[in-house]
Amino acid sequence: MREKRLQRLNSVSLLLFAGLLCWPAATSAQFHAKDTEWPSYAADLAGTRYRPLDQINATNFNDLEIAWRIKTDNFGDRPEYKLEGTPLMVNGVLYATAGSRRAAIALDPATGELLWIHGEHEGKRGGAAPRQLSGRGLAYWSDGKDERIFYVTPGFRLICLDAKTGVRIPSFGNNGEVDLKLNNDQEILPDLITGEIGIQSAPVVAKDTVIIGAAFREGMTPKSMRNNKGYVRGFDVRTGKRLWIFHTIPKKGEFGYDTWEKGSAEYTGNTGVWTQITVDEQLGLVYLPVESPTSDFYGGHRPGNNLFGETLVCVDLKTGERKWHFQLVHHPLWDMDISSAPILADITVGGKPVKAVAQPSKQGFLYVFDRVTGKPIWPMPEHPVEVGNVPGEWYSHTQPIPTKPPAYSRNGVSIDDLIDFTPALRERAKEIASQYHLGPVYTPPTVSKLEGPLGTLTMGTASGGTNWPGGSYDPETHNVYVYACNSCIEPIGLVAAPKEISDIAYIAGTAGREVEILHGPGENAGADSPKPPKKPAGGGFTRLDVDGLPLIKAPYGTITAINLDKGEFVWQIPHGETPDVVRNSAILKGMNIPRTGQTTYNVGTLVTKTLVIAGEGTITTTADHPRGAMLRAYDKMTGKEVGAVYMPAPQTGSPMTYMVNGKQYIVMAVSGGPYSGEYIAYTLPAAGE
Amino acid sequence: MKLKYPLAILLLAAFAPPHRLLRGQASTSSESRSVWDGVYTEEQAKRGESVYRKECAACHGDLLTGGESAPPLTGGAFLANWNGLTIGDLFDRIRKTMPQSAPGRLTRQQDADILAFMLSVNKFPAGKTELYRQSEMLKEIRFEAAKPEPKK
Repeated sequence: MREKRLQRLNSVSLLLFAGLLCWPAATSAQFHAKDTEWPSYAADLAGTRYRPLDQINATNFNDLEIAWRIKTDNFGDRPEYKLEGTPLMVNGVLYATAGSRRAAIALDPATGELLWIHGEHEGKRGGAAPRQLSGRGLAYWSDGKDERIFYVTPGFRLICLDAKTGVRIPSFGNNGEVDLKLNNDQEILPDLITGEIGIQSAPVVAKDTVIIGAAFREGMTPKSMRNNKGYVRGFDVRTGKRLWIFHTIPKKGEFGYDTWEKGSAEYTGNTGVWTQITVDEQLGLVYLPVESPTSDFYGGHRPGNNLFGETLVCVDLKTGERKWHFQLVHHPLWDMDISSAPILADITVGGKPVKAVAQPSKQGFLYVFDRVTGKPIWPMPEHPVEVGNVPGEWYSHTQPIPTKPPAYSRNGVSIDDLIDFTPALRERAKEIASQYHLGPVYTPPTVSKLEGPLGTLTMGTASGGTNWPGGSYDPETHNVYVYACNSCIEPIGLVAAPKEISDIAYIAGTAGREVEILHGPGENAGADSPKPPKKPAGGGFTRLDVDGLPLIKAPYGTITAINLDKGEFVWQIPHGETPDVVRNSAILKGMNIPRTGQTTYNVGTLVTKTLVIAGEGTITTTADHPRGAMLRAYDKMTGKEVGAVYMPAPQTGSPMTYMVNGKQYIVMAVSGGPYSGEYIAYTLPAAGE
Repeated sequence: MKLKYPLAILLLAAFAPPHRLLRGQASTSSESRSVWDGVYTEEQAKRGESVYRKECAACHGDLLTGGESAPPLTGGAFLANWNGLTIGDLFDRIRKTMPQSAPGRLTRQQDADILAFMLSVNKFPAGKTELYRQSEMLKEIRFEAAKPEPKK
């Protein structure tokens, strides 16, 4: 009770623009977004990030200039440097989450003027949240009269606001909020304040249901095999009443319970849906991309295939009942969470129309299914994979691998993947790689040994490949456009965990280095600073680069256009300026190195009538521009670059677009390193300029 | 390509704080130091490693290569982020925002030790004196990604 009273007292909603009270009510009985709007996180519930706008095109992209910008420093008690939001623009207002408070804000989409702000002061509960900062966005709902904004606070409370004023809607839940740590078919442990569960993605609203998943801390070195579970729930948009729940880890008696041997479904947790959820409102189906179970890299305490870990699950929008599922990775051991929104595509395969769902992945496969039946469009046979020898581990001897389309990014490490600018660099890279176990996709982790291997050197695992920004889909060409890191390596070594550290037999670590509890964000908030250590830490430290150059050969990051009618690539290009460290390398002086792209995984794409647009994820300083990053546009038919404009910092949210007052805008979040979060809107110069 | 970089540069220069431009000029003066001048000690980096592993590694990774929710603190992208700024800028960024759950909880000494560890992992040379704890003094040390040519 005390907590609730404090929350109410601290809840701030400032109406900064009184004129909004006189908002003209829409007259239609049902809300339909226009092509000129961006009404949900990924443009639509199909996850396309597509708008058929063409005012900004190949002929004028270079003319873009900043229309407005807004720093998020003051939307919280400290600046944030990882602004990942994608705003919405609907009915003449732009909405976004912003700042370390994860405030909801409303802006004039033509000028950036702040219309209202809503923040929730959550105290210790916010500080203990597993997923902090501003999150990825919010959701909009309207019945043609009421307009509502939904977002989830870091402390895992669903907030419902009047979109006109930013004030809570009292009739929703408990005075405008639903405590998501309650009514969850489990007791969130150890308590409501510190209990580990939260979410950073935007809620999804489909018809009259708000759908919310769950996220946890990163699971490389969990302290326990036991954790809270990441169930998915649907809530009534009007009342906040829970309509349904889907148990991502089946309860006893439910389908899939027997894929958790030795009763491990009872205590294993995580297995949430932390990324964006996709919905086909016409079919009444919801597509849930589920993450890994507790303990990313060691599954000895959860023997079995572990449904619905790393599984694409289709459930009924009204009831949450499972319709079909496909497990992408059996018995997850590589942190291959399904990391981005499934993409709905109406395609033509072999002359027949198919309602499909395409799932990009960290492991660089695009999994394409009939979204009604769950049947793969092209076969995904079970392939034998390497079985490891980590004591106590349970291994799946096969994994499904799509026959089409081919993998669009590297998903294993072989000698041939190592740096190849010169033979000498390749030899140095081979020496470094020789300390690790190498292999193709699904090569299992090893116990880390001083004499080697230190672990398995993987790619397309924890970072991806494609991570949370996901892909775009163009309903005109039936192409998916998807960015992937092609060089994000992850060494996965395991060390025995001392009992006082974790009750899990093995956690991520490196031989020769002291095993310690790794505190994640939210742990020990407000505690006294640790005492200075009495003895220096020892152990070796292996750098995974060659004289500062990437260990893996170029291209480091790519955008691929994949035609879904055929399951084939249309084009693939490196995305991003060659990194400073390569361009300025003394070793490579005089060599003609084509653009390499960049080693980063946080790049989202936007597709319009003619362009694929994406910013760079890494700072460069070149002869053409000062410290900064470029927002690039490509011809969507060919992949040829047609323009680029300067940004002061890397793109850290995905670009979105809309039209207002006859002008097209592109808005994106930039931040990182020394540059705190900022939303920047680009548009064309006014006529006559 | 007909890019509008010159316009962007002009705009940036127009809005950049004057002191930043001045500092850029000052950085060429001979008395200023950079991360290549041995600005921390090995002992300090070892202390920093211990604190790093307790306070930072869960998000930024055991090898500083970053994670799903935190950027890498080594490698080309990290160096490019801070190249041309000062160690003080990086120190203040850590002070203001880290650890994420309770920024400023660590002492200045601990933050300086962590920074020393980060410099050592990024192969900047150790020296005989420890890294300062005062932002103002750290702002006198330039962060340069590339090793300067030896003075003739």
